[in-house]
Amino acid sequence: MNSIISQNLGDNNSMKSPLTFSWIAIFSDGSKIEQFENNNEHSFQEVQNKINELVYFNLTDKQGHLFSVNVVQGLIGYNDLVFSYREVKEKKENVRLIFFRRHKVEITENNIEKSHNIEYHLGFQYNQNEYNRQIVLIIDSQGSWVLGE
Amino acid sequence: MAATHAFKESNGAGEVSSTATNLNFGSNDSANLNTATYPITRGNASFEKYLRCLFTGVWTEISNMKLWRSDANGYKTGETLKAATNQAYVQPSDVANADSDIPLLVGSALTIQSAEGAATIVYGASGVSGYTKYVRFQLRTTGSTPSGAVFQKTLLFQYDEV
Repeated sequence: MNSIISQNLGDNNSMKSPLTFSWIAIFSDGSKIEQFENNNEHSFQEVQNKINELVYFNLTDKQGHLFSVNVVQGLIGYNDLVFSYREVKEKKENVRLIFFRRHKVEITENNIEKSHNIEYHLGFQYNQNEYNRQIVLIIDSQGSWVLGE
Repeated sequence: MAATHAFKESNGAGEVSSTATNLNFGSNDSANLNTATYPITRGNASFEKYLRCLFTGVWTEISNMKLWRSDANGYKTGETLKAATNQAYVQPSDVANADSDIPLLVGSALTIQSAEGAATIVYGASGVSGYTKYVRFQLRTTGSTPSGAVFQKTLLFQYDEV
């Protein structure tokens, strides 16, 4: 842990914008890492450290939404619905997880943080023939989603 | 949880850093100023504001930091908002600077670097402070600018975090 950063904890003017979705990573040996576990938060770096063993990367919220990426087969599941590019007949090669949170903070003269919205970008990249392709869902804090670029 | 952020404004010759609660522009070099107390005389520029962001909490990497003006409220006659990113701190001045108008589209947004000059802020990396470089703002008016309140401006600060 970087002590320079941690000593500043608690000194912020950010509006309360808790994450509505948290992640669970499931690996080939059946082990898993949950973002929040026993009152501790795991870093995504811990997933990256075992990225070659990753099978599923899931996002869940308290409303019952579940988004799941199978990084072995190159599939995205949303609760019971599973998306794949079915027109792709070839086996997907070199599937790589895409995950990040996009923060959008509105600043006005009157209020340094009028709003703070978080989008969850979840999907994967893969290689098909000579091309690099990607499928990404952009998920808002309520669980609504669109297919991104 | 995950990364949290705070906006910090710096003021004075010796650089006093304060947690910002507003971005009011005025005729005084102070954080969170009251525009009724420090109005800008038309034809003048506001004191510059030096703002930076401090990230705390738990993250792996922060990237793609951008800033632009996202509202469509426009300006009063002769009024403009100038902005420049990736600045070093200099005592704020009310002399008109050479900065450009803040962009109005995400496609032309200003990019923001870490305090260390990198495009990303890697958690726990050696020498990483968690700060961005400074954004310098200045509100300009001309003799044609009508008296009274200007239109509210909404700026969008965007970053990607994992």
